[in-house]
Amino acid sequence: MAKQLGMVVDAGLCIDCKGCMAACKVANEVPGDNWRNWIKSGDADWQAKKRGRMVFQPGNCMQCDKPTCVSACPTGATYKSKADGVVVIDRGLCIGCGQCIKACPYGARFRNEKLKVADKCDFCSSRRAVGLEPACVSTCPTKARAFGDLNDPASPAGKLMARNKGKATQVVNAQSNTDPNLYYLGDAGLKSWPVKAQMPGAFEFWKNLADPAVKVVVGLTGLGVLAMLGKQLMLKNDAPPPEEHGEEGGHE
Amino acid sequence: MSSPKMIQRHTRAGIFIHWFNAACWFFLLFTGLALIQNPGLNPLGAWYPGAVRAGFGGGAYLLVAHWLVALIWLAVWVVYLFWGMSRFVAPFLNSTFSLEPNRDIQWMIKKNLQMTLGYKMMAKLVGPLGYDGHLPPQEYYNAGQKLAAQGIIMGALVLIGTGFIMLFSKYFLGAADTWLVQWSITVHFIAAGVTTALLMVHIYMAAISKEERPAFISMFTGTVPAEYAKHHHQLWYEELEEK
Ligand code: HEM
Ligand code: SF4
Ligand code: SF4
Repeated sequence: MAKQLGMVVDAGLCIDCKGCMAACKVANEVPGDNWRNWIKSGDADWQAKKRGRMVFQPGNCMQCDKPTCVSACPTGATYKSKADGVVVIDRGLCIGCGQCIKACPYGARFRNEKLKVADKCDFCSSRRAVGLEPACVSTCPTKARAFGDLNDPASPAGKLMARNKGKATQVVNAQSNTDPNLYYLGDAGLKSWPVKAQMPGAFEFWKNLADPAVKVVVGLTGLGVLAMLGKQLMLKNDAPPPEEHGEEGGHE
Repeated sequence: MSSPKMIQRHTRAGIFIHWFNAACWFFLLFTGLALIQNPGLNPLGAWYPGAVRAGFGGGAYLLVAHWLVALIWLAVWVVYLFWGMSRFVAPFLNSTFSLEPNRDIQWMIKKNLQMTLGYKMMAKLVGPLGYDGHLPPQEYYNAGQKLAAQGIIMGALVLIGTGFIMLFSKYFLGAADTWLVQWSITVHFIAAGVTTALLMVHIYMAAISKEERPAFISMFTGTVPAEYAKHHHQLWYEELEEK
């Protein structure tokens, strides 16, 4: 099976210390109010007979198998790496149009305040390049996050996937399931927050109207040109009616 | 046969800017097309952006090449426009934006029929409408050239405007204004598509059609035979005669 880096998170272990958020911000030089990862928490039902329990749900870009952000990117600056399944952004190619930001059901993307291009979690590609785990994984005091190739039972995340076969869950919006590669063990807590993925209006217009219309216009023009070429080749001696030629002048 | 009488049609500055423009325009069209890479779009198929990007050493370099040539193209044009405003630019705009609807619509219909079906069929088809089978006399530019030039000028303005928004959005647009960039991409694509359709006809008429061969040669030499001018641009020819 192809390599697919992912995370298996035990939300029950998360104590909402936000260490992963801080470590990520530093490791990836994420500016200002921008954050590549998060911790979601719902309201526990304190009224219930059996005492409620807060569940904290750590998350970040889920490197989806059907990433709507990739479908919305016109330039291919956002793409899913064939080598390890991580969804990456080519900053040099990104024109900062923001279509991918709108298209992600998890709000995992943002416009980098400093660079003005799209940004998001890439499982710390610079740390991985030197053999380190993502900063959030290394820093987590309770080891709530496990990272690795989900299809390799020898990796920390793959081991948990194999051990919890069929029990690890994804947090998805049923109306636009992007098949994320972040799995949760046990009670993941808040489930209702991912929104339905939406393609920006300009992109929908382009794909559904402008693209076919331009193809038809260029195609018909091409046919017209071919018709002229055909006529030029078939009717070798095409001349105006001779009687008036010269008197009236202009014939073409 | 003695050499035919020739008359001046294009200046050397005009010839230069035309071919400079054409070269840039082709480059921009082919690099621009390769900048689109999306499973739902890919106008020429997924292989095309892949191949061109490989040639440029990656999409990021392709993007730089595209806007760099666009800026050079624009800079040369700006210089040309200021330097040649009264001598070349104003007369050109004057002759391309002066349409005479009745004459020019007739010309467009007839010329299109003639180009695709020949004089005989054209005469037969327009005969019942009261036309005599001839094409109305034309000025320095014929109606088709005028419309093509108008379309290309307006298309170029749209391409420049939307291109600037995309290129400089990083410097003057906030996160809430990126819808402007999004629509710029779409409109840039439409303008490129429409001008490409116009240019297909333009290039056919100029480089392939036999009837306009003298005009093609004039884009290199600057002159056309008087005989050609008389038949293809009668009103222009008569104007020259009067002088
Ligand atoms: C292989 C490519 C091309 C050829 C062979 C070609 C040829 C010509 C010729 C022969 C003329 C002069 C017509 C006359 O004297 O009546 C002309 C004019 C012109 N060309 Fe091109 N051209 C080419 C590409 C382009 C491109 C890419 C553009 C623009 C974006 C362009 C824009 C124009 C305009 C605006 C005019 C003046 C008005 C008109 O004739 O429509 N051309 N071209
Ligand atoms: S979580 Fe959002 S940004 Fe990340 S791959 Fe999925 S759709 Fe794309
Ligand atoms: S902002 Fe997003 S959609 Fe736009 S070019 Fe950059 S990565 Fe692609």
